[in-house]
Amino acid sequence: MERFRFIPRRLLQAIPVVFGVTVIVFFLIHLLPGDPAQAAMGEHATAAGVAELHEKWGLDKPIWTQYLMFLDRLIHADLGDSLFYRLPVTSLVVDRIPVTLFLVAYSVVLAVAISVPLAALAAVRPGALRDHVVRAVPLVGLGMPQFWVGIMLILLLAVRVKLFPVGNYGNGALEHLWYLFLPSLTLAIAMAPIIIRSLRASMISVLSADFVATARSKGLPRRSVLLRHVLRNSAIPTVTVIGVNLGYLVGGTLVVEKVFGLPGLGGLMVNSIFNRDFPVVQGASLVLALFVVLIGLVTDIIYTILDPRVRFR
Amino acid sequence: MRTTNRLLTALVAVAAMTLAACSSGGSGAGAGNTSADASGTGAGSTSPAASGGTGSPTTETGTPVSGGDLVIARAADALAMNNTNTFDNNSIFVFEQIMEPLFTVTDDGKGTKPWLATGYQTSDDGLTYTVTLRQGVKFSNGDPMTSADVKFSIDAATATGDDGWGYINAAIDTVTAPDPDTVVFKLKYQWAPFIADLALFSNAIVPKDYDGQSADEFYQHPVGTGPFVWDKWEKGKALTLKKNPNYWQQGKPYLDSVTWNVVPDGNARKLQLQGGQASIDEYPDWSTMDDLKATSGITATTFPSTQLTLLTMNQQKKPFQDVHVRRAIAAAIDRQAIVKAVLFGNGSAANSLLMPGVPYYDKNTKGIQFDESLAKAEMAKSSVPNGFSTSVLVRSGDSTQASVAQILQGELEPLGIKLEIKQLDPTAVKTARNAGDFDMLFGGWTMDIPDPDEWTSFAVDPKGGAHADYTWGNDPEIVKINKEAQQTTDTAKRQELYSKLQSLAAEDSAEAYLYYSPYAYAWENKVHGFFVTPLGNYHLEDVWLSK
Repeated sequence: MERFRFIPRRLLQAIPVVFGVTVIVFFLIHLLPGDPAQAAMGEHATAAGVAELHEKWGLDKPIWTQYLMFLDRLIHADLGDSLFYRLPVTSLVVDRIPVTLFLVAYSVVLAVAISVPLAALAAVRPGALRDHVVRAVPLVGLGMPQFWVGIMLILLLAVRVKLFPVGNYGNGALEHLWYLFLPSLTLAIAMAPIIIRSLRASMISVLSADFVATARSKGLPRRSVLLRHVLRNSAIPTVTVIGVNLGYLVGGTLVVEKVFGLPGLGGLMVNSIFNRDFPVVQGASLVLALFVVLIGLVTDIIYTILDPRVRFR
Repeated sequence: MRTTNRLLTALVAVAAMTLAACSSGGSGAGAGNTSADASGTGAGSTSPAASGGTGSPTTETGTPVSGGDLVIARAADALAMNNTNTFDNNSIFVFEQIMEPLFTVTDDGKGTKPWLATGYQTSDDGLTYTVTLRQGVKFSNGDPMTSADVKFSIDAATATGDDGWGYINAAIDTVTAPDPDTVVFKLKYQWAPFIADLALFSNAIVPKDYDGQSADEFYQHPVGTGPFVWDKWEKGKALTLKKNPNYWQQGKPYLDSVTWNVVPDGNARKLQLQGGQASIDEYPDWSTMDDLKATSGITATTFPSTQLTLLTMNQQKKPFQDVHVRRAIAAAIDRQAIVKAVLFGNGSAANSLLMPGVPYYDKNTKGIQFDESLAKAEMAKSSVPNGFSTSVLVRSGDSTQASVAQILQGELEPLGIKLEIKQLDPTAVKTARNAGDFDMLFGGWTMDIPDPDEWTSFAVDPKGGAHADYTWGNDPEIVKINKEAQQTTDTAKRQELYSKLQSLAAEDSAEAYLYYSPYAYAWENKVHGFFVTPLGNYHLEDVWLSK
């Protein structure tokens, strides 16, 4: 497990990033005009409620003290109470993490499932017609806005042909797979073109590598060469591409969860923006940002598994 | 004197509550209004209709069948289940299925009919109401409902005072329960809207002493006599009620359960209805109505409501003290254009302070309608014949208000009135409104009881607690008529008074009445018996699903 030594160090490196996130989230409320407590309590604020929040947030104290108090509350998992749902933000947010996590993971699986065969198809005969088709057609998916793709998929596969549900999450893992298929496909369609291009390019270069020629010359079946040697070695740059794009994918959940009416973090955040439910917006932003940081870390770990030579410092 | 003082207290309470209920100058005040703020107000949401309303119960073919689970897609979640202090429609529509009042609103929204009561008698002086309770009504926990439960419930509602709907009960002096089936209400003064007040959801009947729990515990999963009982609530996602097997109306409800799913996006709601995932869309966006109407198997329609949207002019600011200026502005507004732009043609131009679904609404009130020559004539007679500069506040994020403001800007220009549109955060709009720090803003109202007083006192009486709906106007004649109407129980006399009030208020133009908007609903054709009253209530015990 020598090669996983980097993980603690990576975690340490994540601290400044997380720190930066907390600073931004903290200052969000101070960007609003007027009294932050008044803004946080919203339209139906009572004088007593505002006074209580003043006390809790230490609004009469210097800004850095206020920030430390904010961190202290964060450490105690206290993100305040939702103005709209009248529940602790922590429980609201935690409740919705599984949906978004499932959605993101499912999207990646679908994106990979779409991309690998297409990239292989294209890479084996570079310059052939099928290569051009594979390179050009998915780009359309990249250019289409996600909300539109989502609506089109619903109209086609849920309203016209009632194959899939229009929205919601379902109960139990099997139902989740069914309910989340269209939203995940929506996200996958946007992600696949990037993966295809990257994977195709690296497969072409790996295909011309010496070890592939060796593998072929010792009579290994074509299929086995492609899967065991070419794909694995082409995967490394692709994993980076996926890792980077996962950040955008998390952003995409905001739109997709809204379109499909999914009870996830992104949907919660969008609704809370419309509800002017400031504490929830703060909490959801924080968790989504941490999500992205975590994905960076996981990408690095997958890296070292795929390529034992990779060593992080 | 004493009476007057108490009356004033009641009026102040009305005002205070309206602050709470109507929140800002938003277009979406509601039968329990605040919901509108949350759900993105306006066009898409609660909206009443006037003449345009085609509201009819859903296709009544065949005999009702029992069974089935009804799924309703709604724009925003309920907030709380306490009927005595909750002002938001999304909550009210739910707890009305659990807890029922003694009287309920008739289908036309203009009167009441006995519900948990079978009738009432009034004393000659009009100060004592003796109400007889219906036999055989049980709470969903199996306990019979008695007069002790009624006394407890009404007293609890009254006790909320300004913090809840207690102001509605301000006329009640004492409630007594001489025998299990009789309740006697003694009033402090004659109060015409009394039975209408008892029909409000805040006066619904709950078990005495909250069945041995604290109020907070009780309202986590309330118990009542209604057709449905509490099941579960995943906040922000879904709320489910199931059938009450002990319901007093034999054979009802037909449904096994009702679930309200929170689907904030209007287009997502439309698609869920088209895809068969929801059976009713509670707030179809106006922009999706045509599409829904064109979908086979779906009925999209509007029910007449009591929602009025208006333009408030602040008479503390120059030159709005001048009646000619106010009349000129009222005459310059092409209401049809607004109805077309904002409600996609659903709804109608407003002519009166009262709405068509409200008792004593007078459709013959001429009001001031779109009339360019009248607008010019009034401007010429005014203190500012060459025009002036002014502003209108718009809640940021409220696309309805923004559209109306833009139309207004264009229409006032020919009069030499330069209108600046000021977009402010809703909180800031509310603060400015309460402080009187604005020229003009958009206001609105929907009724909660079938009696005009709830709104007229707030709108015209400077002592109504909100400076005559933030106009800071004071027309002594109108105020006097309003007070007379409150304490007159004779219907014909009240009609005469309210007709006069509507006519005078329109001439005075303290506010320019813009439009009446209906409630929009859409449902799958397998849903039967769904009907919405002008106050927004729906009775789900009548709803059934065909197989």
